[in-house]
Amino acid sequence: MSACRPVVFAIISLVLAGGFLAAPQAQAQQVAVEEFALDNGMRFLLVPRRDQPNVVSAGWVARVGSVNERPGITGISHFFEHMMFKGTDTIGTRDADRDAKYRAEQKAIRDEINRIVWTKQYDRLKRGEIADAWDPANDTQELRVLRGKLDALIRAQQGRGEGGPEAATIVKDEFDQVYTRAGGSGMNAFTSQDLTCYFITVPANKLELWAWMESDRLHNSVFREFYSERDVVHEERRLRTDSTPTGRFQEQFDAMFWESCGYSWPVIGWPSDLNSYTFEQAMDYWNVYYRPGNLFGIVVGDFDPVAAKAYITRYFSRLDPGTKPPPPVVTLEVDQIAEQRMNAEGDVPPAVEVRYHTVPAGHVDSYPLDMLSELLNERTGRLYTGLVEGRAIAGSARTASDTRKYAGLFSFEAETRGDATPEQLEQAWYEELAKLQSAEVPERELRKVKNRVAAGNYRRLENNMSLLIQLAFFETLLDWQEINNGPKKYEAVTAADIKRVANTYFSPANRSVAVYRRTVAGAEAK
Amino acid sequence: MNMWISQHLLRALVASGAVGLMLFSPCRLSHAEPPAAGIPARPEQIVFAPLAFEPPDAAGFRRVLPDGTVVYLAPSHEFPLVNLVVTFKGGVSLDPTDMPGLAAMTARMVREGGTTTMGPTELDESLDFLATDIGVAATDTFTAATMNCLASNFDESLKLFVAMLRTPAFDEKRLETSRARILESLKQRNDDASSILGREWKRLVYGTDHFEATEPTDRTVAAVSRARLAEMHRRIFHPGNMIVSVSGDFDEKEMLADLQKAFSGWERGKAVADPVAPTAVLQPGLYHVPKDIPQGKVVMGSRAITRDDPDTIPFLLLNEILGAGGFTSRLMRQVRSNEGLAYSVRSTLTPRVAYPGDFRAGFESKNATVALAAKIVMEQIARMREELVTDDELETAKASLIETFPRQFESRPQMLRVFVNDEWTKRPKDYWKTFRDKVRAVTREDLKRVAVKHLDPEKMAILVVGDWENIAPGDLEKRASMKDFFGGTVKHLPLRDPLTLEPLPEKAGK
Repeated sequence: MSACRPVVFAIISLVLAGGFLAAPQAQAQQVAVEEFALDNGMRFLLVPRRDQPNVVSAGWVARVGSVNERPGITGISHFFEHMMFKGTDTIGTRDADRDAKYRAEQKAIRDEINRIVWTKQYDRLKRGEIADAWDPANDTQELRVLRGKLDALIRAQQGRGEGGPEAATIVKDEFDQVYTRAGGSGMNAFTSQDLTCYFITVPANKLELWAWMESDRLHNSVFREFYSERDVVHEERRLRTDSTPTGRFQEQFDAMFWESCGYSWPVIGWPSDLNSYTFEQAMDYWNVYYRPGNLFGIVVGDFDPVAAKAYITRYFSRLDPGTKPPPPVVTLEVDQIAEQRMNAEGDVPPAVEVRYHTVPAGHVDSYPLDMLSELLNERTGRLYTGLVEGRAIAGSARTASDTRKYAGLFSFEAETRGDATPEQLEQAWYEELAKLQSAEVPERELRKVKNRVAAGNYRRLENNMSLLIQLAFFETLLDWQEINNGPKKYEAVTAADIKRVANTYFSPANRSVAVYRRTVAGAEAK
Repeated sequence: MNMWISQHLLRALVASGAVGLMLFSPCRLSHAEPPAAGIPARPEQIVFAPLAFEPPDAAGFRRVLPDGTVVYLAPSHEFPLVNLVVTFKGGVSLDPTDMPGLAAMTARMVREGGTTTMGPTELDESLDFLATDIGVAATDTFTAATMNCLASNFDESLKLFVAMLRTPAFDEKRLETSRARILESLKQRNDDASSILGREWKRLVYGTDHFEATEPTDRTVAAVSRARLAEMHRRIFHPGNMIVSVSGDFDEKEMLADLQKAFSGWERGKAVADPVAPTAVLQPGLYHVPKDIPQGKVVMGSRAITRDDPDTIPFLLLNEILGAGGFTSRLMRQVRSNEGLAYSVRSTLTPRVAYPGDFRAGFESKNATVALAAKIVMEQIARMREELVTDDELETAKASLIETFPRQFESRPQMLRVFVNDEWTKRPKDYWKTFRDKVRAVTREDLKRVAVKHLDPEKMAILVVGDWENIAPGDLEKRASMKDFFGGTVKHLPLRDPLTLEPLPEKAGK
């Protein structure tokens, strides 16, 4: 899982502290994790540490991400993440019964809107009468009326419409307010292809509050603002994907690269799906994936494990274990049998990305693949010395081994320098690769990389939240023990292993290439 | 009826059998389940043990070497790592007018250019083999050199690190590579609308001649010579201009001896001068820079206050309530949560030490709703001047600042950063000791007074980056258009050539 860059979409902008670097060395630090399980199946990882006094970082993970979706509901895992901040019958409302009525009325209208769009508007789109089936500007009279009604109900529920503040049943963002008043900070969540993680840092005396708040929303969420929140997610999509120089290109490249498995669609979902989720679909998802057997909690920081277990037992035991276990992910990625290529042009630096299908996390070859990537990266790595400084054709160059729960990829990315072309970078990469395929890495070079990775093993443990996020990924993808066992596996990698994987995964038929060119100013047709 | 409640109830009934049935009242489904044993009905009912915290006293960590160099030490033995930071006064603020970017380039080349006794490749290989991380970078008013190494490699790492800082060689080939790489990054300056927004905002707020707003061009990058680097290096990198801090796994006495030895014979100059204040005055109005994207990116605000201004703490609270407090803030509630117009919306207060920094609010929204979101933000700013905030809002903001206060010192490196910064910027000695009391003393009237004094929509600038033709008309329901601001008078700023920063012909951004 070295240097993987999980594609994450978060409720607020989020930087994954410390990244997710592999870290070997047999004598490396052991993280002392206490495991703890409730009768309902929910497990907890407790890591008491006194070196950062006064604070506790706490979170929980649902073992669900975009890979568990299917066409029609792409992005629903991420949408759930937003919904989880909208409160329960206790938090987020001042009148749970009236609020439930508002929600039921909204649901009826939105179901009708969806039915009309999926039929009439999609038909108009197919006939070429409109360019966007979901754009309110293209609404029929019937849709306009319904949308007006839905909007009026949403406003009334918020106390901004008919009936004024008296009609309000929502207490806006109360979930955040409660934590804010109690000194919670960094409250956030993210969704990746394989998992959804919710976390916060609280003062050391507020762990019980965390248990109250999190067990309440897991027990009692009502998906308030199920319809209005979509506008926010659309803005998030515009921000992260549509308005960035390479966002849409990367989305297309992903969709091309992954042929059959669930990594082919974006975590944030396709725009039409985002508009279409129904309440029933959300409920099915909730009942399957947000049950305690599919969840685990993590607590890191300044706390007493005995007291923590008492709080956890008292609060999280109320979660209903449910009756439907999550279905297995059955669709495997098929073998790629011919090179794929994408030529992109935009406000982007000339660049190339070459990707290969590899192996999932924990696969025996994932360790040499990570080490291979480490050999190429960093200031003294082969890409800097060979492409950036040596041949002087790259402004930057890097590789990454991204091993996920069900499949993995290895990527090479480089941007040009001066007059060099993406094609030159691509050729130079194949030449670097040929060296790794034909000769074993010298002993000192391998030792250097192992030293660096070993030191990284300590560095990434220093920060509570960074440790929490790593445990979240390890426990979802493999087992939390990997944080202690992984280092030995990296230390054991030999030069022969690296040569072997270099010859196993990097064939022309297994690669996909994206070539980026900058649009020349004034050269556009329009 | 709410689908989820009914399914959930069904499951609960199945699970709990007939006894459970009697617990539920069918007419109050949403309150169907009683609280489990020992669980309070509301989070406010939880009683918390008190958490005593007193901010650490810098003096307890401060040492002075015989040559006068100040060193802050905070040993800890949890990990076998040592983290050493040398903070030099002055950074981008020292850039000469003919060469913006020189201080940053100097820092970069100190790291990359080798030393007089070791070539850059050999040096990098040695450090990598030791697994020692070194970084040197210039920010606006400081240049920081950091070293993180395994405790077992400290002596050797320190030798290489200090050689870098004292006797850099500025290798010509590495300089050429750096110039080329910087040029490639300059070419990308217009690719992302956010970078255009940030650049043009600084130009508006601080003026095109102040270091906060000046940026390198292809010409100034090409003109950077080893002589210019050496000259800048002499100004910044010497013991008279630095404070050292070390955290991690070490013995205090040994560390002091090691540092003293490493610095011995290093010529001690004078500390550089404080940064100069900008002379430009923000011209209120509506500004636009073209960029063809499906979302408009907006920032609005004005110059505000200095860090040590007596109004800073009330202003911090005001800002929490208005737009810095995440989901609990008014801007997030109105623009994102209620109206769904933006994913991120916030306000930011950036007090500077030597001159007033800016206050700004910012968001991004689809073209049609840029005007509506901007109107709501402006209304919320105006409201801070016209009405008192609620008691509840102020109490929440105060509680947040007070309860999160220990996080300022949560790790040793973080604590030392505070001490070093306070010493360089002469922060009042009792600042942290009295911080929470000062927060507690703020009243609602204080907030209104501060808003009236510092937040005047009439004196603000609004900057929009995006597709003006589609942004200007506003939303479908005609709730707002860009005509609502400054009488609809907009100043179209040109997109700038990414290499030269000279204005591009008008249609370039379309």
